[in-house]
Amino acid sequence: MAKPRILVLAAIASVGLAACGGGSTGTATVNKPDKVQIAAEGPFTGPQAVIGAGALQAIQLAVKDFNKAGGVNGTQVTLLIWDDQHTAQVAQNFQAVGISDPTVLGIVGPMNSGVVLGTAPGLQQASPPLPLVSESASAVAVSESGWGVVHRVNARDDAQGPADAKFMMDQGAKKVFVMDAKSDYSIGLADQTQKYLKDHSVSLQRESAQQGQKDFSTIVTKIKASGADWVYFADEGPEAVFLVNEMKHQSLTIGNNIQFLGTDGEEDASIIANTQGAYAGAYATNIAADPAGLTSSAAQNYVTAFKAEYGPDSLSKAGPFYGSAYEAAQVLLQAIKNSPVKNGKISRADVLSNLGTATFNTIFGSVKFDSKGDVTGGGIYVYQAKGTQMVVVKQVSG
Amino acid sequence: MGYFLQQLVNGLELGSLYALVALGYTLIYGILELLNFAHGDVFMVGAFLAAGAAAALVHNEIAAIPGGFVVVLMLLVAMGGAGVLGVAIERVAYRPLRNANRLAPLITAIGVSLFLENAVFVWVSPAPVLVPTNALVSQGVIQAGSVATPLTGLVLFAGALALMIALDLFVFRTRFGSAMRATAQDREAATFMGIDVDRVIMVTFFIASALAGLGGVLFGLRYASVDFFMGYGLGIKAFTAAVIGGIGNIRGAMVGGLLLGVLESLSGGFISTQFQDTFVFLALIAVLLLRPQGLLGQPVTDRA
Repeated sequence: MAKPRILVLAAIASVGLAACGGGSTGTATVNKPDKVQIAAEGPFTGPQAVIGAGALQAIQLAVKDFNKAGGVNGTQVTLLIWDDQHTAQVAQNFQAVGISDPTVLGIVGPMNSGVVLGTAPGLQQASPPLPLVSESASAVAVSESGWGVVHRVNARDDAQGPADAKFMMDQGAKKVFVMDAKSDYSIGLADQTQKYLKDHSVSLQRESAQQGQKDFSTIVTKIKASGADWVYFADEGPEAVFLVNEMKHQSLTIGNNIQFLGTDGEEDASIIANTQGAYAGAYATNIAADPAGLTSSAAQNYVTAFKAEYGPDSLSKAGPFYGSAYEAAQVLLQAIKNSPVKNGKISRADVLSNLGTATFNTIFGSVKFDSKGDVTGGGIYVYQAKGTQMVVVKQVSG
Repeated sequence: MGYFLQQLVNGLELGSLYALVALGYTLIYGILELLNFAHGDVFMVGAFLAAGAAAALVHNEIAAIPGGFVVVLMLLVAMGGAGVLGVAIERVAYRPLRNANRLAPLITAIGVSLFLENAVFVWVSPAPVLVPTNALVSQGVIQAGSVATPLTGLVLFAGALALMIALDLFVFRTRFGSAMRATAQDREAATFMGIDVDRVIMVTFFIASALAGLGGVLFGLRYASVDFFMGYGLGIKAFTAAVIGGIGNIRGAMVGGLLLGVLESLSGGFISTQFQDTFVFLALIAVLLLRPQGLLGQPVTDRA
């Protein structure tokens, strides 16, 4: 990482020296782009705002921090906010604006796999193609479809699903009640987990919750009748609170007569409070690390800065991706900064090629993409509800 | 057999929830022929008001005053607040359009619904908010053989039934109720008879919305958590229930709600939860094809 940065510094220094030597003021502004814009895209309102709102805050903070540190050679980056509401059609309307404006250099997002899958072809066909760095799209197809514009900092379902299944098997699971919540993300992940369990002859039953479902009595009665010893709920939304409350009503006690493993949205400590403690002992995995659960100073400094910006209780509302969203924004902004400025313009083509080759310095350490746009060495984190906190109990490399 | 009975009880409980919201839908439709799509969100606001009242009085699972009083206070705040909100919505979004194209108030209704959802999202909380039920009501479970249901679920069922009966009596046995029915039959003629139609409509909105507020409290006590999007899904199901029962018919709303809840629970319990909603809306289509006016509805002749 240090290398390209030193080169850039050296380049700036030499330009500066040349400017001094020549006594000209014009050359000092050669490397200053006229206008730099990036977009934050995700479900910032609507039912999925639980994951989107905190991510947006993180991206806004990342841009603010980047601009405070000087922006792109002195030019402040403008952030466009594209609230796609988890819908590809809405996303396309926003992206059309970005595609036609060459100063829009990249997208942080889209957050949902379904939206990436629906809009990537359009971004790819733009001229030049409009690159994206997602902080949370985890469906396998997102990076397996051969779109060069797609990058993501989170791990994939085919890393998470088997890791989840293996974790339950290691804990002695005999029969798993596998549930999805009827979204591209949760069905894809539940399928991966189900496949791994089936391949290893663990008996299972598959069911679905509805997005936004409140009454889980039917499903919980079914869980009891199934004789399962583990409940696996692939979900990113706020449904877990209601499921766990209903389990308590029907005397299924987590850690006692049932075990619980949730995914991405469910390593949120607010679930413990909202279930009045019934969630204690439950496990959840996440494709992105929660900076609050890490000890590195970069992660801790970010948590402090986030709280300073948005209030002391802001973390409880920040959702599972406030770390990876900041990371994705850092990556995109560094790729832009690394790109050459020609006649006051930065080309998206250069940003895209830089994304593919450079190593980026983020709050989670250094990050690099493989040829498909997947992050190399992305990890799966296992959390457990202990007391009022979700604590990382295990890290599985993906 | 035990499994069947348990799923039946689950369904009746869920159905009571649908019925509670459907009663308000049907009441307003009965008077104004207006589909108040914001009704589910008034329910949500009521639930949030109740949660707020509870949060103000309960700290660390210990209530400042006895739990029963907190619940009474939650009821007052939620019903009063939701009632006033309903009246305000009628005044701002529906009354100016009363003589406009029938599609116009439908659009403002959807607008109000989106506004309420996003207002609560931005100003209150994007994440679910706790109702500290442990400190408020008995967490007891009623056990009858192999069938069990939480006490709060029974209250939900009893509450819906009692409200349906009370509303039925109110509309068919009181002076004000006859004014409501007169307004429903012919607004102009009602005016000639000395009925203050604006007032009747306002009170109808207050009652329907206060009902939604009450539903919000019962929901909070049963499910212990509320979120800004809860009104949307419930609203759609409740609307479906009202249509199945015969929209505009109070008993129909109750029957439709319970039927929908039981259907959902049994199809989920015996076939697959993956197709639960498919069966629900299949039932709606079947009812609409065979009895377009709904199970208990009267065939309507189109009024000019």
